[in-house]
Amino acid sequence: MKRLVSGNEAIFQGAIRAGASYFAGYPISPTSEILQQAALYSEENKEFRFLQAEDEIAAAIATISASLAGAKAFTATSGPGFSLMQEALGWGHVVEAPCVFVNSMRVGPSTGMPTQPAQSDLLQIKAGSAGDCYPIAFYPNSVEECFRLTAKAFNAAEDSLSPVILLADAFLSHLYEMVDLERIAIEVIPRSKEPLGRGQRLFTGTAHDKLGNVKTNDPEIYRGWFWELKDRHDRVAEKYPLFEYLPCKNSETLLIAFGITSRIISSLKDRFSIFRPIRIYPVLEKELREMTQSYRHIIVVEGSDGQYASWVECAICRKVMKVPCLGGGFKLKWIQSQIEECLKGAGR
Amino acid sequence: MDSESDRGVFEGSGKVMDRSYKELLKMRRFPHTWCPGCGIGAVLKNVAMAIKELGWNYQNTVAVSGIGCSGRMSGYMNLDAIHTPHGRALTSAEAIKTVRPDLNVIVLSGDGDLASIGGNHLLHTSRRNPNITVFCNDNEIYGLTGGQAGPTTPKGTKTITSPHGETYLPLRLGCILTQQAPYFYARTTVYHLNHFKTCIREALLWKGFSFVDIISDCIELNGRRLGFKTAHQMFKWFDERFHIVEGERDHLQEDELGIVKATAEEVIQPVEKVEVKPEIPMESLKPFTLEELQHFDGTGGKPIYIAYKGKVYDISASPLFQGEKRMRCHIAGKDLTKDIDMAPHGEDLVFKFSWVGRIE
Repeated sequence: MKRLVSGNEAIFQGAIRAGASYFAGYPISPTSEILQQAALYSEENKEFRFLQAEDEIAAAIATISASLAGAKAFTATSGPGFSLMQEALGWGHVVEAPCVFVNSMRVGPSTGMPTQPAQSDLLQIKAGSAGDCYPIAFYPNSVEECFRLTAKAFNAAEDSLSPVILLADAFLSHLYEMVDLERIAIEVIPRSKEPLGRGQRLFTGTAHDKLGNVKTNDPEIYRGWFWELKDRHDRVAEKYPLFEYLPCKNSETLLIAFGITSRIISSLKDRFSIFRPIRIYPVLEKELREMTQSYRHIIVVEGSDGQYASWVECAICRKVMKVPCLGGGFKLKWIQSQIEECLKGAGR
Repeated sequence: MDSESDRGVFEGSGKVMDRSYKELLKMRRFPHTWCPGCGIGAVLKNVAMAIKELGWNYQNTVAVSGIGCSGRMSGYMNLDAIHTPHGRALTSAEAIKTVRPDLNVIVLSGDGDLASIGGNHLLHTSRRNPNITVFCNDNEIYGLTGGQAGPTTPKGTKTITSPHGETYLPLRLGCILTQQAPYFYARTTVYHLNHFKTCIREALLWKGFSFVDIISDCIELNGRRLGFKTAHQMFKWFDERFHIVEGERDHLQEDELGIVKATAEEVIQPVEKVEVKPEIPMESLKPFTLEELQHFDGTGGKPIYIAYKGKVYDISASPLFQGEKRMRCHIAGKDLTKDIDMAPHGEDLVFKFSWVGRIE
């Protein structure tokens, strides 16, 4: 039955459908509703475990540990909390714990504007944690997609044996849409990693060989581990080349936008072509190169000062124009005027 | 080293020493990383022996560690072991126990890891009381990084980050962990072997969060700076500093070794309803005119009333109005709305008195 569902609820239900049985979190706008739903759900379903942790550090560590123990686990937070989770995120990559981190972005840095949406955590999801580990990240733009992509994120986590990040924004988290969650079919990849209590393994964040022996001064062992991780990530990312492309005939301009920004500018689809990456990281390099070839102007409309735009520039080796929607202001009129200005400046 | 071939070593009693605990240790990884004379080896060995005695094995037991010298302990246990980021061992252990209640979860870590960087988790994990056992190798120093002062370093100890002696008092783990029942806290040392073994065993058998604070030595990075030449001299120092206390205790002095434990005394009823006092409707209050109000100035045994924002309050109980008609610029029996708004204190001073009426 169709009913009004919020983005946060869709994320939670998507996780349940994907088989999640553990949630740890700490209250933070705008994902507190996920924590609340997890608390309610765990009351009714004893096999679902829930922890309201003392901070995001504990929430993230508990999520990864629960994953090692055998549960499909997830946590949800926003930018400042995600900063605290970075330590655990790096650890999750080394101990190969499949789990999902939901980061619903709000205006930062620091406390910023807690109720206002932003898209400024992209660099943080890629490179917030120390060392070389770059998680896979998806970013939906509707309530239904929140549901689908959460389940996909769990599948990608199982495939890549790593934490996978589901991005959202304060707008999307609190967006209500008519959806029939029950009728959405979802493919679920079951748990493949052996749970605890089956062997004599060591799950360590320290560099180690395949047997779990700590080896902290051998570059070959580190390199072996890293390239294997990277290969695995690339292979899994290739399975999810998710994007949306709305071509507009006669348009020489391609707008690139994702998440809530892509919803806002969708009414410009009769004037401009629109490309929406759904897999935010690893960047859709091949697709971007193909799509952008035939366009004279490329404008990235995003809720940060060019974080995604810089990735696009790297991928296509070409300068792009930017419309940064900062401070939670995502007004269509303003965006439109900025696009016009960009085009004027570029000599349309 | 094969556990079978080592049999036949006799202890003083003539009994064959049981070395079967070695199957719980990853002997292929030996020799271990710790310095000669370090107390961690004793902790590892005795925990392994206790686990073996209880019949626990890799199929039902998980070891969790943090970072530091003592954080390496779980890596030598022949179990599924987790080596967490710095300070997060307790949270990790709790999550594992939550997901897999069938597993026995032990935490092997150090004082810097558990009490300093993991201090917040120590407070909250112990509060949530998961059924896990924590062995804290408390060597009063950050050993792995070279001997910096830690949270448990006694005041006055010279370390490389406190060259003139540690400035602050150490954290009292015993006080923190026994503040509310249920709790299990044991303090022992690696020197008092029988007591040490008893503490480990009791902690493992305790249902709930149990914490064993094992005073241990770091001869290379703490002891030598203090003037000790050998680990044995440090052990003798422990013997001087601490003494074992027997029997049920509810508190351990800082120089006492022993076990303090308590089960939850009473089942606390959940707070379902708090009593909310209804607001008194304005109309039901007695009406006063400003002239009538003036009579209530405290003279002749009358109560002291004042008006504030249309309401009349009985302030007879105010210590500031006793015996006189006024408290500085506030005159009893008057409408003090303007005075109080201008006063340096807030209006909450008035609200604590009871309403007796309203101004017409």
